Amino acid sequence: MTSNLEGTEPPVIAEVRDLRVHFGSKRGRVHAVDGVGFQIRDGEMLGLVGETGCGKSVTGRAFLNLIPQPPAIIAGGEVLFRPRGGAACPACAGSGCHACGQTGGETLDLLKLPQDRMRQIRGARIAMIFQDPGKALNPTLTIGVQMAEVFLQHKSDELLQDAGISADDRNLAANALRRIAHQEDRWLDRRLKRFPPLRQAAGRIQQALDARVAAALAETQIANPLRVMRAYPHELSGGMRQRVMIAQALACDPDLIIADEPTTALDVTIQARILELIKTLQERHRTAVLYISHDLSLVRKVCDRVAVMYAGRVAEVGTVSDVFSNPRHPYTQGLLAAVPRAGARRGHLASIPGSVPELVNPTPGCRFADRCSQVMPACTQLDPVLGSVGEGHSVACFLEHPPHAGAAKIEKALTE
Amino acid sequence: MMQPPKTDSTVAMKAGDTLLSVRNLNKHFPIKDGILQKVVGQVRAVDGVSFDIRRGETVGLVGESGCGKTTLSQCVAGLTDPTSGEILFNTGQGSQLGDGDRIDKLPKDRYRTFRRNVQMVFQDNFASLNPRQLVVDIIGRPLKVYREASGSDLTERVVALLEQVGLGRQHLYRYPHQFSGGQRQRISIARALALDPELIILDEPTSALDVSVQAQILNLLGDLQKERQLAYLFVTHDLGVVRHMADRMITMYLGKVVEQGPTETVFQQPAHPYTEALLAAKPDLADDPDKPFALLEGTIPDPARPPLGCRFHTRCPRVTPSCGWEIDDIVRFLEADESLFQSLQGVERRSARDADLIFKDPASAVALQEAMKSSSVPEAMRAATERLTVEGSRLRATFSEVDEVQLTERGPEHFAACKLDHLSR
Repeated sequence: MTSNLEGTEPPVIAEVRDLRVHFGSKRGRVHAVDGVGFQIRDGEMLGLVGETGCGKSVTGRAFLNLIPQPPAIIAGGEVLFRPRGGAACPACAGSGCHACGQTGGETLDLLKLPQDRMRQIRGARIAMIFQDPGKALNPTLTIGVQMAEVFLQHKSDELLQDAGISADDRNLAANALRRIAHQEDRWLDRRLKRFPPLRQAAGRIQQALDARVAAALAETQIANPLRVMRAYPHELSGGMRQRVMIAQALACDPDLIIADEPTTALDVTIQARILELIKTLQERHRTAVLYISHDLSLVRKVCDRVAVMYAGRVAEVGTVSDVFSNPRHPYTQGLLAAVPRAGARRGHLASIPGSVPELVNPTPGCRFADRCSQVMPACTQLDPVLGSVGEGHSVACFLEHPPHAGAAKIEKALTE
Repeated sequence: MMQPPKTDSTVAMKAGDTLLSVRNLNKHFPIKDGILQKVVGQVRAVDGVSFDIRRGETVGLVGESGCGKTTLSQCVAGLTDPTSGEILFNTGQGSQLGDGDRIDKLPKDRYRTFRRNVQMVFQDNFASLNPRQLVVDIIGRPLKVYREASGSDLTERVVALLEQVGLGRQHLYRYPHQFSGGQRQRISIARALALDPELIILDEPTSALDVSVQAQILNLLGDLQKERQLAYLFVTHDLGVVRHMADRMITMYLGKVVEQGPTETVFQQPAHPYTEALLAAKPDLADDPDKPFALLEGTIPDPARPPLGCRFHTRCPRVTPSCGWEIDDIVRFLEADESLFQSLQGVERRSARDADLIFKDPASAVALQEAMKSSSVPEAMRAATERLTVEGSRLRATFSEVDEVQLTERGPEHFAACKLDHLSR
């Protein structure tokens, strides 16, 4: 299941550093995401698990700059992304340095990127699979038309080439077709489109487009792509809609896919098929996937590494086998014990007492302190930070890292 | 603590006897079409279901969405009237359930006894708690309706109920929106407990909750059952929860029961391929993580036109020639093939298993004939084909007749509706 077969770690493709997203509310500032940090390596599947309201979806959406501001306030942090085959790193000119994680590629801070650059990345380099395909697909457009938008947005030059219009053609007809393919057509272009030879060329563009859409749908094992392309979302079953969403996400062969609970709205049998599909496509394309879920057993099944979030912070990160067989954070332990499983039948499930704390103007200290069975005085005064407990396995808990280990940090916290 | 309410049903009874019996229950919904809203078909949401619930036991009801499990639970709760069939409820009149115990024929006073003894907890606790009422009114309402308590006595009873579900006096005068999902589900449970019922129907009570909250609710339900000898009908699609909670489980597929039996037996030796597939599709934390998913082909067929024979035969990985192959299976096969489906002009049925398929051109008919003989259709379907002849652009196909599948006994209290005697692994 591990992604590094050759022994060399694949490069870090995306990284979240100390991300803080707050929401303004009547009662004060809700610290929904409060200092989250993790790395995603190229071609790996990272699971992000946690309960409702722990900030996992907001973290996922930060990758696509899809957090509405207001009400959200991005209070700090960076979401770094290194596209494959991007421009050279400005610091070392491609030779590999600390700033670019030895990849030599440029590093983008997605939160500070201008809107037009973000549009080029969204859908092409980072794609998203949403939880409810019934809501994420446009009910007024056929599947073919909304799938075509992805290609028109990101692949229009290749479409023009497929239709036999090279980039050097600068005559009236080619310019008109170029505007049509780039979705920038004016009324005159639409009139011109009716006359040959433009009509033929526009037809060729449409054909190339249809072929690409059909191929993308066929890749997600849709039996009859042409029929699905003519259908509206409501005519398809839930599993089919989720396949369309996956086809749309994979259409431009992205480097990173954010899958936000992709199977929660589906039945178990369909869920198994969709997961299998995501897993095989991910392995075939070597795409990195951030898999957001609340279902621990699914994450264990499909992911390589897992980050457990609690109340806006990462409690534990590590490989799936480490975290599930040897959980070190009391919250992870409680969460795993709460899942009904074979063998432990009819007894009492170990439940975590209490409920998730309110995140309005939180006080310093571990967020889990008031539900934790092993709480210590330090837990209510200091913020634990993620510290290593093994190879690639980190935990934010004072049980593993007693407060005196990081004396400087405590002094700072006490003086503030 | 609450005083035991005095009802007819609290007369001496022994645990384990049948509390509720469902016999050959059908619920069909008409499909209406046209200006005159003529009935053009029936969706058989529940089709010939029979089972018993004993006092103090938990029966799990599992299946995919659209299999009729919610409709069945609503029939049992008396919220919808079944099309045909009987639901018998022991209102404490005699030991043996008989025709006089049919809930649609009960006299008014015994019907009230039935209603107070069968309560329901719904999945969506946002929709099932009135947002304009205070908790004290929500939980106190059943007590008021049945004239069990009033005034300060009522408030005390509500407080006792709240304490039983892990809430307290401080929650009396709050509105549902002021609570978290888990707390709202506790309020729903307190309301269901108010009249001290014998059976609670739990319709996906934890599917909207997080794992740690789900564990709290499941523990609460377990404690209450022990304390009060409650019977539960636990409707869910989460097999892990069923395994944890249920004594017996019933698997439904497209309105029919395909398997029922003691939970542990069914989990260890499923006798129906559908149950087997459901169990394999749900990863468990105790499993080997590298075990591959067992995948099920296709989606649930249209319940308005369920497949003949075994309804699962369109998706079954262990399908046999005698599972009920029919003309609609050819149509389903054609739907996956764009060009052949486009050239299909019509189907002339002699019966469900014998029909002419009319194509635009003879070539398509021959192409289908070839496809039907090749490995692109399941082997069992080829073996079940009796006739496959082409005359011009018409293809005549006939499948062999088979009997309906019935639930047969596989072990003590373990029944399954499958042609196969046992599933080899």
